[in-house]
Amino acid sequence: MSLVPIYRPRPSPLHAAGAGSTTALCVSLALVCALYDHPVVVVAVIAAVAGAGLAAGVGSEIASAARLSVPLALLVTVINPLVYAEGNTLLIRGGSVLGHRFDITLEALAAGGLAGLRVAAFVMPFALFAACVDPDELLRSLRRVSYRSALTAALATRLVPVLARDATRMGDAARCRPHPPGRLAVARAALSGSLERAVDVAAALEVRGYSAGRRAARVRRSPSRHDVRVLAAAATVACAAVAGKLASAGSVEAYPRLEVGLGPAELTLSALLLLAAALPFAGRSARLGVARA
Amino acid sequence: MPEPVVSATGFNYRYPEAEGPALRELDLDLAEGSFTVLAGSSGSGKSTLLRALCGLVPHFHGGDASGELTVGGLSVREHGPAELAAVCGTVFQDPEAQVVMGGVRSELALALEHRGEPAAAVARAVEEVALAMGVAHLLDRRTETLSGGELQRVAIAAALVGRPALLLLDEPTSQLDPVAGDELIWLLRRLNEEWGTAVVLAEHRLERCLPAADRVVAIERGAVACDAPPADFLAWAAAGGGALATPVARMFSLAGLGPVPATVKEARESLRGAGLAEVGAPAAEPSPEPSASRLPWRRERRGAAALKARDLWLEIEDGPRVLAGVDLRFEPGEKVALMGRNGAGKSTLLRLFKGLQQPTRGRLERAGGVALLLQNPGDYLVHDHAAEEAGEPALAAAGLAGRGQAHPRDLSGGERQRLALEVVLSGGPCAAVLLDEPTRGMGRPDKDALAERIGDLAAHGAAVVVATHDTEFAATFADRVVLMGPGTVIADGQPAQVLAGGWHFSTDVARTLSGAGGALTPAQGARLLARELVG
Repeated sequence: MSLVPIYRPRPSPLHAAGAGSTTALCVSLALVCALYDHPVVVVAVIAAVAGAGLAAGVGSEIASAARLSVPLALLVTVINPLVYAEGNTLLIRGGSVLGHRFDITLEALAAGGLAGLRVAAFVMPFALFAACVDPDELLRSLRRVSYRSALTAALATRLVPVLARDATRMGDAARCRPHPPGRLAVARAALSGSLERAVDVAAALEVRGYSAGRRAARVRRSPSRHDVRVLAAAATVACAAVAGKLASAGSVEAYPRLEVGLGPAELTLSALLLLAAALPFAGRSARLGVARA
Repeated sequence: MPEPVVSATGFNYRYPEAEGPALRELDLDLAEGSFTVLAGSSGSGKSTLLRALCGLVPHFHGGDASGELTVGGLSVREHGPAELAAVCGTVFQDPEAQVVMGGVRSELALALEHRGEPAAAVARAVEEVALAMGVAHLLDRRTETLSGGELQRVAIAAALVGRPALLLLDEPTSQLDPVAGDELIWLLRRLNEEWGTAVVLAEHRLERCLPAADRVVAIERGAVACDAPPADFLAWAAAGGGALATPVARMFSLAGLGPVPATVKEARESLRGAGLAEVGAPAAEPSPEPSASRLPWRRERRGAAALKARDLWLEIEDGPRVLAGVDLRFEPGEKVALMGRNGAGKSTLLRLFKGLQQPTRGRLERAGGVALLLQNPGDYLVHDHAAEEAGEPALAAAGLAGRGQAHPRDLSGGERQRLALEVVLSGGPCAAVLLDEPTRGMGRPDKDALAERIGDLAAHGAAVVVATHDTEFAATFADRVVLMGPGTVIADGQPAQVLAGGWHFSTDVARTLSGAGGALTPAQGARLLARELVG
């Protein structure tokens, strides 16, 4: 299992929908993480992504990405109270270094926890995107807008497992040496090898006319029933998030005292997120459509 | 006379910061629809010539070019790779590095999309090329799920999708097993005959591709040394010491027979013509079944084994059975070729012996240290200078004395391989030395040097086990061949017993002589023919 989720075709509405539609859903879920730090809303995003991932058959990929985000979230949680000394509830009185007091407050710790949770939540929609969106189709959709950027993204997706295999091989070779080189030397060689691979890929692109720079022909595609459902879910999430923000839902004040507002607005928004994420999978027609695809 | 698709007149090229030119005073005309093989030792300039034909030289690599080289009427000095892509498709050595997209269909469409072709035209071209190249069943597969052979076919289809007049291939079979390699060569011949696509193919294993070629261009130090039909090229190569000659051509040359044949079929006909029909005729009695002759000569030698595997199993959880009850014993000083098709378990067995993986069942015994050289020698070389990888004695043993300041990546494939071998041997004497596919992409001089080194190691008491697809190399160095089926040993014996009567696992000399006298190498075949001629 790769650390970074990799797209593989599967019979699910998220895979059957166009790359643009599924990307829109993932972006709308990421938008919620960008707009809110309310724990209930953020947990709702995590649950929505996890549910959609499970229903789409990419649960293990999402779980793997979630595991990857845990150290980052913990790091944020730990660093925040060391950097911010605000808050009324003092937990540990630290010393003073270069004029900066290192007091640990409950509020700073809680704010760190919320920020860490938000970081973890941010990873989730991107994991869903990487696992469910065909990078080739995305490249095709974006070709007329920003071809080179889209190609870079598609290439990165393709090369990640190749480079991971290269690094594993080099690790094995290092174990075969009577005096194994340091990790830094192996990492440097792996990096240098990846640059060589990049040059090879660039040469392969050149001989296939990459620099001809012709504008790609437009490809028209009628939206499928999966597109409609996934886009409806994306629109629901985005509208609910923006509307909730305009209505000042999900307010969190960390300092001087931690205040997390929890009312009908937050609960409704969270429920809407969960329902919207389930929308692409709802009903018999969604499953039948996938079976035919 | 067809129009030349490639025309070179006094073409020279020097890489940036290189001391000498990589291509010198090149004069060459390649006709439309021809099938040309580029021959030459490592570093002779074959790959540079191919890179010049597709425009990467000088536009991608930089450097200085002079003289004239046109491809499909376009001068490579004035037109870059993108313009030349309309007239020539290019396929490189490593299929992993040239496949760009995640899906096969997108991969095939890429070149036409770069040209801005309408979607309907792209879809039709993809469908047609996929059917023509036999990859239609792969169209909806992800590229990372393809085998090496499938990936190389997809790369060729992607190069052909725009129907170029010329297809350039740089050692496309070097990463493939022999079955996939042979299939690829015949696929190229078919597209050359049916579509009229001119093919220029650089290869080390000429015996594999000469039967398909119309013409061979030998490159030496960047210049054309020979430009002739295969039979004339082989006569030239045999007269010049045989470094580029095929095994059968060398056998004929050593036996003083002529003309030098280009294929096994021609060789048999030639033997019949020389009154040696019974040598080349199918043996009246087939060679003994290798598995039935389980080496009584070896059973007598029962000292301490260098390596021993007893009832060795490796079963991947939720996956296939890789090894199933392997019993093997390698004696000190033995030189063993471990053969078998891809997936038979050769590499896995070597990794288990080294301890990189653990068996799920069975016992392994090692009499001492085990050195393992994995398939890609470049993986062992992690420093900026060769001298940092191994000491001066090791550099000298690798034939790199005085080149300690060279960057390992600037060494040739054969030099890298020798250096990596010395790196794994630098821990002192080993009970066993294991080499995994060490001859991939190697020319004959490098293989001869490796065979000599293997002999040295065995003479010092190490058991040397080489996993290889290269039957010619196995016949040269080994005194025992172990043939593996999927996860099991299916034959184990002296090379003549295992390889002389084989169909696929056999040498060209043995095929020509139908296994007569157990001759496998050109020298053995020539001795047999000489005896027959005298008799």
